[in-house]
Amino acid sequence: MFSKILIANRGEIALRILRACRRLEIAAVVAYSEADRESRAVQLADEAICIGPAESRRSYLSAPALLSAALVTGCDAIHPGYGFLSEDDTFAEMTRAHGLAFIGPPAEVLERFGSKAGTRTLLARHGLPTIAGSSMLRDDAHGVAEAEKIGYPVLIKPSAGGGGKGMRMVRSQRELQQAMTVCRSEALAAFGDDSLYLEKWLEENRHVEVQVIVDRYGNGVHVGERDCSVQRRHQKIIEEGPSPALDQGRREALAEAAIQAVVAAGYENLGTLEFLLDRDGNYYFIEINCRIQVEHPVTEMLFGIDLVAEQIRIAAGEPLGFTQQDMQSRGHAIEFRINAEDSANDFRPQAGVVERYLPPGGPGVRVDSHLYSGYDVPPYYDSLLGKLIVWGQDRPTAIARSRQALNELVIDGLVTNVPLHRALLAHPTFLDGEFTTNLLDRVGSGAFLAAAKAA
Amino acid sequence: MSGENADRDTITRLASEVVPALIERLAGSELGELEVREQGWRVRLRRPAASDGEAPQSGVAATGSKKPAPAASLGGHSGHSGQAGHSSTDGHGAWRELDGGLITSPAVGYFAPHGGIGVGSAISSGDLVGHVDVLGVRHEVVAQLGGTLEALEVEPGEAVEYGQPIARVTPERLVADV
Repeated sequence: MFSKILIANRGEIALRILRACRRLEIAAVVAYSEADRESRAVQLADEAICIGPAESRRSYLSAPALLSAALVTGCDAIHPGYGFLSEDDTFAEMTRAHGLAFIGPPAEVLERFGSKAGTRTLLARHGLPTIAGSSMLRDDAHGVAEAEKIGYPVLIKPSAGGGGKGMRMVRSQRELQQAMTVCRSEALAAFGDDSLYLEKWLEENRHVEVQVIVDRYGNGVHVGERDCSVQRRHQKIIEEGPSPALDQGRREALAEAAIQAVVAAGYENLGTLEFLLDRDGNYYFIEINCRIQVEHPVTEMLFGIDLVAEQIRIAAGEPLGFTQQDMQSRGHAIEFRINAEDSANDFRPQAGVVERYLPPGGPGVRVDSHLYSGYDVPPYYDSLLGKLIVWGQDRPTAIARSRQALNELVIDGLVTNVPLHRALLAHPTFLDGEFTTNLLDRVGSGAFLAAAKAA
Repeated sequence: MSGENADRDTITRLASEVVPALIERLAGSELGELEVREQGWRVRLRRPAASDGEAPQSGVAATGSKKPAPAASLGGHSGHSGQAGHSSTDGHGAWRELDGGLITSPAVGYFAPHGGIGVGSAISSGDLVGHVDVLGVRHEVVAQLGGTLEALEVEPGEAVEYGQPIARVTPERLVADV
């Protein structure tokens, strides 16, 4: 096992990784940018080291800065969290070259699963139905030709990263040509990589993803699925499990197909296979996320495991300490992403001082957040303030507890999306478990807010 | 001398002399803000919000300057007293400590002083003080102002973090009439 881990991330996930390190009795060093000097993770860490200025490219995206920080503090492993360099095979390779362990899939696994188009082909060979899509776009003309082949509407997606940045759905060639430029610059700014590809757009789809855990020796288990259909502009807002759209038979078939395919394809460490589910319940593999995900606590609540600790154990070369039979899901869990953004004003991101912060509590309520009263939210990074995760023995109980928890949550000084969460919990489409990924954008979040106010 | 050159000279002087002096002046006073006007230039320095409840932005606004906030980055080093690690920010103490004579690390790595540089050395703005070794790549540590090297804050070969004070310089002359 490792003796000291460098946490190469910020915000709530830096804190989450720190907690896993504590649980495993491993020392933790938090790498931080100048803008995060006063962060909760820095305050709680065994050691903290400033790696650069606020600008991500010179701090959290700087491989030399992070590796140098790990070496001067005597770490033997780096946890990249999510986003930033978490799925960068070059960074994983550099980490290994400096004698450090990368907590995630090994560089060659990241490389094999790095190309979205290549991964679709690979996993299709291992039995997963996939969605029609293009290879990496060489230029705009190539994009236009590929879109013709797939058939409009198509979704433009960046090859790197996630979180909805650089993504656009387009219905015509003209829209495509305009959007490619925008997507390239968004992807470049967010991930330092402007390569794009196309995917067939399914109307009225649901987003369902399967969490897998695979050790170095080819032992793999799945820990069920999460339904992330409540999205705004391809950004997940609420995630839950199990998916209300799947019956027990389909649920098991999907998860089984996913774990068999990735193990056969040589995957290692934690991963998430994302699928689109059409109205008839058919599923199509779209991509794999080779990292811990924002919504991982949904699975932790259902299965009673610590996914980050498992990730660290696997990276240290330990075999899985459990089998598929040991993994039993209990009840229902819902996660709400609490963002510093003004839902009523085009979701404008907010920054500034949190004057008062009071998290909710009670049975089944978990809050993963780096907030504290007086914390100054810097304007340089994403707007995630934390996550509220609520468990109940069934979906109605989880929803009832969620309402109560959202009412208890106090974040003064910043505008947040909590009103939108309350509105969604009052909406019949969500209550019936009928949400599709395009619903919020089609109806407009303003309508949800207004309906909740009128009720 | 062309107007452009005059501007450049003024900016250099503002950054290397007026700003450090202003910081010192502000630190030693109970004032929340200081402003200096000179030959059509204006430099304003404001305390961080933590100490006076003002707007969260701290730093220097030099109207007309192409580098609007030279002290904003200095402000970011608040609470550092030489060691890597935790910090506790105290607005007043931080500014007092940043007397304008600090040379800070440009990167995370191991510090090595430049040959011939030592306590008592006379250095000019732009001089190479040493370098920080980042995975075998040298990042130059350059003096941001001229004067006498008063102290080296880190030992040769010692690990430094980004922004960590490396050396202390006594400026050759302070602007006394601000």
